[in-house]
Amino acid sequence: METQTKVNEAPAGAVSLHDSGQGHGDLLQLVSFHIGGEEFGLDILRVQEIIRIQALTRVPNSPDFVDGVINLRGKVIPVIGLRKRFGLEELAHDKQTRIVVVEVKGNVLGFIVDSVSEVLRIPRDTVEPPPRLGKVEREYVSGVGKLDNRLLILLDVDRLMSDSEELISPQAARA
Amino acid sequence: MDNDFLLDPAMIQEFLVESEELLQRLDQDMVTLEATPNDAELLNRIFRALHTIKGTSGFLNFEPIVRLSHRAEDVLNALRRGEVRLTKRMMDALLAARDHLGRMLSDIRAGGLKQYSIDSLLAELEAAQKPCEAPEPLHDTPTDQSATKAAAEKSAVQEHASSPVTTRPTEAPASPAEAGNVSADQKQSGKPSENNSEQTMRVNVRKLDELINLIGELVLERNRLAQLSRDFSSGRLSSAGLASAFSQSAARLSFITEELQTAGLKTRMVPIDAVFRKFPRLVRDVAHSLQKAVELEVRGQETEIDKTMVELLGDPLVHLVRNSLDHGIEMPEARVSAGKPGQGTIRLEARQEGDQIIIIVADDGAGINPDRVLHKAMEKGLVTADRARQLSSREILDFIFLPGFSTAERVNDLSGRGVGMDVVRSNLKRMNGTIQLDSVPGKGTTIWLRLPLTLAILPVLLVQVSDEAYALPLRAVLETSRIRTGEVHQVEGNEVLRLHGETLPLLRLRRMFAVQASDGELTEEKVVVLLVGEKRVALLVDRLIGQESTVIKPLGAHLHQCSSVAGATIGGDGRVRLVLDPAGLLASVEGHARQEVVQ
Repeated sequence: METQTKVNEAPAGAVSLHDSGQGHGDLLQLVSFHIGGEEFGLDILRVQEIIRIQALTRVPNSPDFVDGVINLRGKVIPVIGLRKRFGLEELAHDKQTRIVVVEVKGNVLGFIVDSVSEVLRIPRDTVEPPPRLGKVEREYVSGVGKLDNRLLILLDVDRLMSDSEELISPQAARA
Repeated sequence: MDNDFLLDPAMIQEFLVESEELLQRLDQDMVTLEATPNDAELLNRIFRALHTIKGTSGFLNFEPIVRLSHRAEDVLNALRRGEVRLTKRMMDALLAARDHLGRMLSDIRAGGLKQYSIDSLLAELEAAQKPCEAPEPLHDTPTDQSATKAAAEKSAVQEHASSPVTTRPTEAPASPAEAGNVSADQKQSGKPSENNSEQTMRVNVRKLDELINLIGELVLERNRLAQLSRDFSSGRLSSAGLASAFSQSAARLSFITEELQTAGLKTRMVPIDAVFRKFPRLVRDVAHSLQKAVELEVRGQETEIDKTMVELLGDPLVHLVRNSLDHGIEMPEARVSAGKPGQGTIRLEARQEGDQIIIIVADDGAGINPDRVLHKAMEKGLVTADRARQLSSREILDFIFLPGFSTAERVNDLSGRGVGMDVVRSNLKRMNGTIQLDSVPGKGTTIWLRLPLTLAILPVLLVQVSDEAYALPLRAVLETSRIRTGEVHQVEGNEVLRLHGETLPLLRLRRMFAVQASDGELTEEKVVVLLVGEKRVALLVDRLIGQESTVIKPLGAHLHQCSSVAGATIGGDGRVRLVLDPAGLLASVEGHARQEVVQ
């Protein structure tokens, strides 16, 4: 279990921090990760855990964006390569590669990211609506956060996955 | 009920579970009692059941239940004392009371008792009980009983066969309406009780003890391992010592786990009687309303099946039995003129064969005429005239299972086996089961359901394709062999395999799943023959790994549409392995072949 970094289930501390953050300074607590040179942020409450990359089992005839399935302590969950999802060149997994496990509409799934850097707190009022973005379609972006000199793209996983569902249907029809 | 708050919800829950069980049993017992009215022990059992319900509901202050069960008890008491003889009217009233009690119980489950107008029912119970109506026992009732008895004694059957028409219950007063009520009620009360049984179940203490014992052993083994680890790190144990102790421990662990798996599954197993026991009543009521004479033979009700299947099996079986009643069994006159006993027989049988449960629904009715099925199939455009000529009668009967084959109107045309048979089949598929139908016109119809013993554990054959391992349900594996050059042929652009002089469609798993070739030299040299229904398909793989018992898990979201994959399992190395669905594989071959033809 040492490979796992429990982010969410821990401690009342983290949660209350978040809550109290909303109370005065209105802080957003984010897990930040990298995909192809860009830094992304995901609301910490959405993240169940972050695990190291492990051997994927490919599922034949599955939707393109599903890279395969993994065993998460006895539960089989699909994993989705965000590089592929964002139309970026795919890279071989390395020591830095992580799977961010989230729950979307009651389904647990994993996102493969290049690396996970840290847990950040940024003031909510520094978040700006999404500008025109290059590689990442802006529909999946709920905003852009600023932290010192860094720009953080805030990811909307619900929208990311609801679009994916639409992608499945034609696939299913073909199968 | 002001004192509701005093009552412990757990107590009410217990009352409901117990009473519902008693009522279920009552159903069966009452119908049996109709056939054997002098069975004192049976009568006592019915009486005791009602008495228990009355007692507990009195304590819990469910007043309408008390009143109703009390009056029903009176009737039974009079019967017990021999003051009156059982009449059909009495039985109808008792059954109506039983149904009403069932409705009240489900109301309690749903939130609380409602207002009931049970006065007429109470009056009817009282009226039915009046000994002064002794001459009323419609004379068909005793005949009916004797007919049932006679049918039980084979020798008597022939004798009876000459004049069985009189055994038809001529009196069916409120029957149709009542039967309607009953089925509606069963639908209503059926669902909540099903929900309930999902939440709780009764388990034999012996089974639990076994489970606890094994858990005890597991704990001991864990302690032993912990000790080993301490001894080794403190240097008290040599590497060699550790190796041998460790392998011993691993062997014991695997033994205990297997036992634990079996014991755990056993706790989920219940006698199939839980499904079967509603049928005597169903057959009685439907037969009465259709004015047919039908005897239900139930066998093997002690056969144990997985609890989840009890819920899934109920509807398909009701469907099949109703089909037999509605369309299989002919009217008594028709039966007699066909030289059969006036009373029809429906047989409901369960037995275990290896790791399968076989359930048989058989009737000695009119059977299904394959010509008419074929005719309908051609009319519906399900088959061309050319193809139709090549079909065996078994294949023709299979059309019945196609969705959309039947509607109510066609049903009558076809002696009606079509009603929702596709639904029955799809329900069975959900249980990994199969259905097979055999019918001889004039002689009757037999339906076999084959179900896996459990839904939880699946014996599989592991095969390897390049670096990927796949699991195939062992149930579907017919044989495996090494492929020789010259055995693969091309027929109309599709690959086939000649094996034992037969031609099988061939599926290259590597190509189908687009598995990348590995560096190794393993190249599609093993073939696995899968049996799907009555069709066979050959699967080409690199290597056979071996057999394994696995726990099947659903693939996560977004992956339901992969038809050739049934689910996943976790291998010894912790990796996910896919469990393939033989039916899906076959469908993809056939789909492929069809596409080729179209193109």
